Amino acid sequence: MNKITVEICYGTLCFVMGGEVFETLQEHLPEEIKQVVTLKGMVCPGYCHQQEKYGKPPFVKVQDRLICEANPQKIIACITNLMKDGSNQ
Amino acid sequence: MAQTNNATLLRRDLLTRLCRLMLEDNLENIDRIPVEMMPRTGKAASRCCPYKGRAILRYRIMALLGYNVADETDELESLYNYALRALSGFDKGYGVLTVVDEACDGCVKSNYTVSNLCRGCLASHCMVSCPKGAIRMVDGKAHIDEYLCIGCGKCQQACPYHAIIYVPIPCEESCPVGAIKRGPDGKEHIDPEKCIHCGRCMTACPFGAIMYRSQIIHVLYEIKNQARPLVALVAPAIAGQFRAGFSQVRSALLKIGFSAVEQVAEGAAQTARNEAEEWIHKNADGQPVMTTSCCPAYVSLAEKHLPNLRPLVSDTPSPMVYSAMKAREKYPEAGIVFVGPCVAKQAEARKHGGLIDYVMTFEELGALLIARGIDVVNEPDSSGEIPLPETRFAMSGGVAASVQTYLPEGAEFPHVVVDGLNRKNVALLKTLPKNKNIKGLVEVMACEGGCLAGPGALTSTETAQKLFKENVPLPEKQWAP
Repeated sequence: MNKITVEICYGTLCFVMGGEVFETLQEHLPEEIKQVVTLKGMVCPGYCHQQEKYGKPPFVKVQDRLICEANPQKIIACITNLMKDGSNQ
Repeated sequence: MAQTNNATLLRRDLLTRLCRLMLEDNLENIDRIPVEMMPRTGKAASRCCPYKGRAILRYRIMALLGYNVADETDELESLYNYALRALSGFDKGYGVLTVVDEACDGCVKSNYTVSNLCRGCLASHCMVSCPKGAIRMVDGKAHIDEYLCIGCGKCQQACPYHAIIYVPIPCEESCPVGAIKRGPDGKEHIDPEKCIHCGRCMTACPFGAIMYRSQIIHVLYEIKNQARPLVALVAPAIAGQFRAGFSQVRSALLKIGFSAVEQVAEGAAQTARNEAEEWIHKNADGQPVMTTSCCPAYVSLAEKHLPNLRPLVSDTPSPMVYSAMKAREKYPEAGIVFVGPCVAKQAEARKHGGLIDYVMTFEELGALLIARGIDVVNEPDSSGEIPLPETRFAMSGGVAASVQTYLPEGAEFPHVVVDGLNRKNVALLKTLPKNKNIKGLVEVMACEGGCLAGPGALTSTETAQKLFKENVPLPEKQWAP
C-alpha cells in the first residue's frame, strides 16, 4: 500500500492561527493511521493570501486534498476516508 | 498556554490587523476593523447580532491599544483617536489586565442551577435545606432565584437525584487570590490592589473577555520612526515557540526592524549564579528556606498577599532585569523591549522604571511576523549558536537545576518545585514560613509547566515542551534538579 502524504504548512500564519497543534500530530494519530501516513512540512504555498477561495488557515494537504481550518480530527477523518476509498492503493 | 482556542485566535487576528495597519501607515482605517470582521450580512458567531459583535471588537481593540476598557468616557470616540492619543504620550493609567465588559456576560449569576433531572419531588429537600428561601417550585420543577442564592451548595448536597449542578465562573475559579469578582452591574471586575497579573483569568475566560493591555503600537511606532534603535531581549521560552533555532528567530527580529537581539538566557545565567551564592550565605546564616524570584506573578503574590513569605523571596534580580542592565550598557542609546510569554513582566518592568521600555508577548511577535510576511522557518539558520543551559529557566524545575550547577560540587541541595499558582499551591506557600518539613530552595512558577505555558505564549503547552526539548539539547537529567 502506498503511504498517504500529509503536508503541514510551516508558514508563520498557519502556525500562529492554530497550526502549532500539528507539531504533536504524530503522537496523536491512531496506530493504524500512523502506519500509512507520512508527515511532512511544506513551505507556505500562499493559500492564506486567497482566503475567499481556499478558506481560513491553518492549511493542511492530505494527498491532493486541501483542508482549511485544519485540526487533528479533520485530518484523521480525511485519511480514514482515503483508506476506505482505497484511492491510495 | 494550555490550549489554543477561538478566543485566542480572535485576539491574534486583531493583533495582526493592527500590526498591518501600523506597518502600512494606515492607522486611520482602524475603525474599519470591526466592520470588516463582522459585515452586516455575515454570520455573527456566538453573539446576538453583528452590531454587538462590532461593539465588542471595538473594546478589544481599545485593550490592544493599551487602554483600560473601563476608562472609556465617550462612546463615540473613534479608535483612531485613541490610537493617536496613545502615540502622543497620553497617560493611559496603569494596569496589566482589563475586562472587556461588553464581552463578559456569558456566566451564571448563581453557581447553582437546577438541571432537567429534577422530578419536582414531594419531599423537596432542596427547598427545605436552602437557608435563604431561594428555591421555589415552578411548573413542577425546582427553581433557584439567582438574586437570593448565596451559593452555599446545600441544595446540591440535599437532592437525592443529583439534579442540582454546580456551574463554575471560570475567571473567578482560576484566580488564585480572589482578585476578580462580579460587580453590581453583573460584570466581572479586577481589583488592582489584589491582582498579581498572572493572566490565569485571561486564559480561563471562555468569552475572551479579559485581555492584556498591549504595548505593541508603541513598539511598532518606534520601529517605523527610527528615532532610536530598539533592542529585543528574548526570553528563554522562545525555544518552545517555533520549529526554529535562536539564530532564525534573531534573523526574523532583525528583519522586523530591531537593531539587536539578545538572549535573556544570559541574564538567567547571572540570576542562577547569584541566587546560588545568596542561598549559600543565607543558609549559613540560619535561614532554612529561600524561594526564587524570577516569576513576577509569584513575587507580587508574596508582596500583596503573603507578607510573612516576602522575606524568604530571593533578592537576586530576575533574568529580564540582568539582561536589561547589560543591554543598557551595551546599547546606551537604545530602547529596550522584552519579548516573552508573560503578561506579569509588564508589572515587573514598571517596578524598574526606565530600565525596560516595553514588554511584548510571543503572541504579539507572531502577529507582527504575519503582518510582515516573515516565516521564521525560512530564515537562515547560522548554526553554531548553541542555547545556554540556563534556557531551561523556561521550564518548571529548570531554575532549581540551574542554581544547582553554581553550587560547590557535592553540596547538599534540598529543593522543592511549586509548579503553578493554583489555590492549593498558594495555600502551601502560605504555610511555608512555618513549615518545618520544607527546607532548601523553593522554585515557584505561576504557570503550570513554567514560562513555556505562559498566557502570552504562541504554542500550547504540549507543543512548547516538545519544541523546547528539540531546540535545547540537554541531557534528560539536566532538565530538573
